[in-house]
Amino acid sequence: MKSRNLIFASLILSVTLLSCKKGEKSAEKGKSDSLVSKKEVQQEFHKEWYGIYTGDFNSKPKPTEYGNEIEEYKKISVKINRITKDSVYGYSVVNGNQRSFRGILNENTLGLILDEPGNDKSDGRFQLKLKQDSLVGDWIAFNKTSVKSPEKTLKLTRKEFAYNPNFMLSKDQSEDSDYENPVDWNGGKVKKNSFVNDEGKTETYENTFYRSASDNVFKINASKQKLAEKDLKNLRKLDLQIIRNTVFARHGYSFKKETYRQFFENTDWYVPVSNNVDADLTPLEKENVALLARLEKYAEDHYDTFGR
Amino acid sequence: MLGFIRSKKIILKGIVAITFIYFFGLMLKITLDYVPVSSNVSFLMIKQTEVTSRPEYLPIFYVHVYSSIFALMAGFIAVFFDNNLKYLHRFSGRIYVFIILLFSSLSGIYIGVFANGGLVAKVSFVLLGILWFYTTYRSYSEIRKKNIQQHKFWMWRSYALALSAITLRMWKVILVYLYHPNPMDIYQIIAWLGWVPNLLLVEYLIKKQKR
Repeated sequence: MKSRNLIFASLILSVTLLSCKKGEKSAEKGKSDSLVSKKEVQQEFHKEWYGIYTGDFNSKPKPTEYGNEIEEYKKISVKINRITKDSVYGYSVVNGNQRSFRGILNENTLGLILDEPGNDKSDGRFQLKLKQDSLVGDWIAFNKTSVKSPEKTLKLTRKEFAYNPNFMLSKDQSEDSDYENPVDWNGGKVKKNSFVNDEGKTETYENTFYRSASDNVFKINASKQKLAEKDLKNLRKLDLQIIRNTVFARHGYSFKKETYRQFFENTDWYVPVSNNVDADLTPLEKENVALLARLEKYAEDHYDTFGR
Repeated sequence: MLGFIRSKKIILKGIVAITFIYFFGLMLKITLDYVPVSSNVSFLMIKQTEVTSRPEYLPIFYVHVYSSIFALMAGFIAVFFDNNLKYLHRFSGRIYVFIILLFSSLSGIYIGVFANGGLVAKVSFVLLGILWFYTTYRSYSEIRKKNIQQHKFWMWRSYALALSAITLRMWKVILVYLYHPNPMDIYQIIAWLGWVPNLLLVEYLIKKQKR
């Protein structure tokens, strides 16, 4: 939604510029209006660099006894909204944490220094370089003791974000794993088993079970078809969760939960751009999301308990 | 020897009573989920299609939920005290018959028509409702004719069907634990598994008694 607002703002801006050229009509406007337009009439530069850059946001490799190791792997999206003579405006979003930034552009080196507001413990400074369609550099936390990895590297490429109701998870997208269908690798349940060994002693071992989704997550599209109870009753909770969250993924929602991130980060269409897309959902999507959420609640409370 | 058999019987009855009280507690807990009346709680969460399109569904559903818990208790008391405490047996028996013939079985047949799990489950639940009504009615008419043994056998059948409320949910827990099937796949299975084995077991017991 924010990106839309900003597009809207820049539209207003170009309209005011046009009207200024045409005549002095805007001078007749009230005081408050002229204040606003003064603020907005700031020349913009390098609009070609506006957009979303998305990619890896990993902690800096640390030397250990096994060689250099990267502790944290994350994905980040950096959105550049506006570049004026002395400032660069935009925001970044990581795991549902959306932070605005403001900084400067060095036009000679194409280097960007972008600072987050600093009122959150995980705020910091980006030092990035623009190279054609990529944005590369690092990030350093303002407060180095407050975050797990105070120094990170960024390797981003420019991506266009456009909502498309046809985007789906598909089987071939998870080809790098041994499993064809999405598996929730974060919600494993440990089950203990025991057996009697050769010496007559009882040994216990643990197995971890992971939920895997069915083919329905590739077929049922909650952004396009009106879903009914009967279409969803036979689905397990994970299927319902994925079908519901695919709607949010299409709108560029940046998931806070690892479970959902892992399903969509492997697709080529998912571009996290916002930590709140609720207002962007279509009426059809809103209805389906409510229905899916209700069935998820039922599945959660009743699937394996004494009852129906 | 007689004393031994007697004490064995008492222990057995004690186990049966404790087991019943445990499961009755679970059923009561499920029933209390529906207090106060709500149109979208518990099982009704996946029944909104019926709730919103059929105005009679919700009242009939609640008739079933609220009446059946009393039938379950009254039936147990009547079967448990079949030889002693005549007054209690007759009193609870009348309540059982009255509740089932007027409320529980008829409402059960209606909800069965709209059961989850497609035709497979619907046929099972409707048949269960019809058999529940019939066996209860037969048992009642046999005792009116002072035909005690037939009354007893028909009531065993009737209560075996009533207990499907518990056995169905037990099978569900077991099968979900073992196989993690999809919710409606399991529903089709437990729809039948809930009452058919109960009835077969009772027929076996009746055969044993007749000999």
